[in-house]
Amino acid sequence: MGIDGIKIIELLTIAMFFVGFYGLITSKNIIKSIIFVVLIETAVIMFFLGLGYQSGALLPPIGESFNNDTMAYVSDPLPQALMITAVVIGLSTTAINIVLFITLFRKYQTANWDIIKSIKNLE
Amino acid sequence: MIQTLLVLWLVIALLIVREKNIARIIIYLGIFSLLSALCYMLLGSPDVAMAEAATSAFTTIFFIICFEKYFSFTDAQIGSQVIENKLISLKTLAPLGFVVFLFAIFVYFIPDASGIDSLRNMYMSGFMADVGGNNAVTAIYLGYRVYDTLFEALMVVISVVAVIHLSAFSERAPERGSEHSEIEGSRMAVFAIQIICPVMILFGVYLILNGHLTPGGGFQGGLAAAAFFICRYMIYDVYDIPIGKLSRLEEMVFIGIVLFAISVIFLGTAAYLPPIYLPVFQNAYLLLVNALIGLKVACGFIILFYRYIAVEGE
Repeated sequence: MGIDGIKIIELLTIAMFFVGFYGLITSKNIIKSIIFVVLIETAVIMFFLGLGYQSGALLPPIGESFNNDTMAYVSDPLPQALMITAVVIGLSTTAINIVLFITLFRKYQTANWDIIKSIKNLE
Repeated sequence: MIQTLLVLWLVIALLIVREKNIARIIIYLGIFSLLSALCYMLLGSPDVAMAEAATSAFTTIFFIICFEKYFSFTDAQIGSQVIENKLISLKTLAPLGFVVFLFAIFVYFIPDASGIDSLRNMYMSGFMADVGGNNAVTAIYLGYRVYDTLFEALMVVISVVAVIHLSAFSERAPERGSEHSEIEGSRMAVFAIQIICPVMILFGVYLILNGHLTPGGGFQGGLAAAAFFICRYMIYDVYDIPIGKLSRLEEMVFIGIVLFAISVIFLGTAAYLPPIYLPVFQNAYLLLVNALIGLKVACGFIILFYRYIAVEGE
């Protein structure tokens, strides 16, 4: 709990998440916003995979059999199986985001959030 | 080692925040994905690293298509659209302070999960008897948590349907050699792609068929096999994929996956078998579901890529 139990890898991934968040709330370009969503997804995936880092569990969970002695060195397979689905779903949502952007661009001929908002207010 | 790579990873993200040219941002995104895949590999998860490497190719291609079509003529406009360059002003400091505040809260309340490994021990000690195969990750996403995989496949179907629906106004296929003739000028690129192409589809099929024994599986193999079609488009510059038929095939395969996986799990078919045949049955189940998922993912992303090309060529 708290600051004592923080590992450096968790700190870096949380920092990465908030770098993406900062970019998301300050960027004025739609393409850049989509890219920051990709960054945030990557940070979350890295956070989950890094959970087993401090215990030295860095071997991939592939092999014949594991007994109680070697079990501690194998990384956790459950976050990996969930994160594979997260990676593919991230690609799908990115594709949908880009298509939404293309339809928006066809309507307003710009990639700037503020200009689109002002045009919408005028209408 | 991994900490150094992660610091570099963070630096590239900060570069993306500060950069104003969209083309450079896309290149930074490619580097970012490469570093992420390397870090996943060092963290002991080659399956996720392969998935990330395959998806980053598609992400970069999608962004490049988008950029090619919509930003070549508004490039000067982009430069003034991003953040203003003044370092100290309320407009830049207020979001920064807000984000730092959230970061501090997050770091303070982070739970400590380092001692919890009972689930890992259960899966690792039992997966070969319960599900079969050598790869614990495949055993989890095809055995213990197969419903997650089904819903994930459903997400890919929904994404394909959404992309087809939203780009429905550009039904016309681009003419041969009309838009993309610049790649034909580079003979070296075409020659290199011609060498890589067969290796790529062979690698995809290998990943699908060996997913339960080695790192890999349906998603990664399907993505690698779909990347073959990007290469094919780059070499021959043709648009002859029957998207309607492919889309129908994808939906059929999805229904097949759902029916097959749920019937195997609900009926408990393995319980009726004599124990000698159990490994054969398990391996056949893993192989078949992986092959179906690979086929479905490959179909889905081929459709997505060609829809983007159609939108671009309109």
